[in-house]
Amino acid sequence: MNVLKLTPFPTQDKEKPLNHGRFEPYVDNGGTVLSVAGKDYCVVAGDTRMSDGGYGIQTRKYTKIFQLTNKCVIATSGMQADTLALQKKLKVMLDHYQKENGKVMSTPAIAQFLSNTLYYKRFFPYYTFNLIAGIDEEGEGCIWTYDAVGSHEKVKYSSQGSGNQLVIPLLDNQVAKFNQLLPEGPKDVPLDQVVSFVKDAITSAGERDIYTGDYADIVVIDKHGVRWEKFELKLD
Amino acid sequence: MFLTRSEYDRGVNTFSPEGRLFQVEYALEAIKLGSTAIGVQCDEGVVLVVEKRLTSPLLEPSSIQKVVEIDSHLCCALSGLTADSRTIIDHARIETQNHRFNYNEPMGIEACVQSICDLALRFGENRSGGDEKMSRPFGVALLIAGVDEKGPSLYHSDPSGTYTQYSAKAIGAGSEGAQSTLQEKYSKTLNLLECQKLALSTLKQVMEEAITTTNVEVAIVSRDQKKFKIYNKEELEAIIAQL
Repeated sequence: MNVLKLTPFPTQDKEKPLNHGRFEPYVDNGGTVLSVAGKDYCVVAGDTRMSDGGYGIQTRKYTKIFQLTNKCVIATSGMQADTLALQKKLKVMLDHYQKENGKVMSTPAIAQFLSNTLYYKRFFPYYTFNLIAGIDEEGEGCIWTYDAVGSHEKVKYSSQGSGNQLVIPLLDNQVAKFNQLLPEGPKDVPLDQVVSFVKDAITSAGERDIYTGDYADIVVIDKHGVRWEKFELKLD
Repeated sequence: MFLTRSEYDRGVNTFSPEGRLFQVEYALEAIKLGSTAIGVQCDEGVVLVVEKRLTSPLLEPSSIQKVVEIDSHLCCALSGLTADSRTIIDHARIETQNHRFNYNEPMGIEACVQSICDLALRFGENRSGGDEKMSRPFGVALLIAGVDEKGPSLYHSDPSGTYTQYSAKAIGAGSEGAQSTLQEKYSKTLNLLECQKLALSTLKQVMEEAITTTNVEVAIVSRDQKKFKIYNKEELEAIIAQL
């Protein structure tokens, strides 16, 4: 006869602590931003997809471009929470600067200030990759491009984010006129041409990069201020 | 008068029943004992001239400095207890350099003057904080001249922490006489050379001794160069000869 035997309840090994998983403070929410500066204007584009770090989409309407002043915007890819924290901090500091100094912070001053702000978190960085785009005090279009800890460079065009590798060769070739069979230098291009080129560039990134898509914000900054335009990308 | 004062003239953070802070008022008196300093501003720039009191022929004139640099676009002339100005100048220099560090641009003139006045007002603060704090108001007044994107400007700041912008201003022992002369002769249309002449001749008028290259200091802030310059001996000689 089979006797049903009770097995002893397994005892918890007290020496071994429960595994809670590692602290992972960062998520890459993806997305692409790019900007091209002209003689007296600046065009910025950024898609509005926010991915969950994998195949999932958390929202299709997350704007990566943030207006700082009438002459300056910041475009950011990376982690959304850090982006929002950074934008909030910059806004507060800009308001403070205006009250202390009796003027709106100029675009070059914002560029320096952003670098310092990022570097102050050198050992627990904001997971953000930024572009500062705008016009300076002389009305000339200018762009600064950053890494997460504040290294920066003033450039004429740049891109950041998951579609960066796709967009940069296009900009190199079409804006800086690199690697052309018939050499020609970069030249002054009218605003509407740049806007349509920038739309093509972000569309192309959306075709190939799964983290880029849904819609694109196209922002133009010139002496009249900052103008926004929505533009459709593929939703797949 | 003395009786009513004696109750309240010791504490720096106690108002008298008439609503006065005597220590601040006494500090303002200390400036009236100082050497005369004059600033004149026009569209092209600002001129600062200061008298140096050489109390002994054995005194080395270059050891007294009454026009000092804050930043390359900002300088100031002082009158009163000049030792107190060391703290103020040090503070202002740090503020302007911090501004360059943070924003990669020179600091605005008014913003710098405001930060100086913030410091001047800190005499009333509680001293238990641990940090070294002031025990009394500063005994020095400043004429701050500089140039920024708004153009050249001249400010006056005093121990009470008040600042005011002027077209022409005199501080120190001879300030009353000098101020009325400036009021008479100043006009908005003066150019920088004329301002320099007005400032120097006004100073000459109120100085007890004859004006020489060793007992005055002159600095000009130029709108075009966005910089200030302190005159050397040869340049002083040239402008004194023109008087």
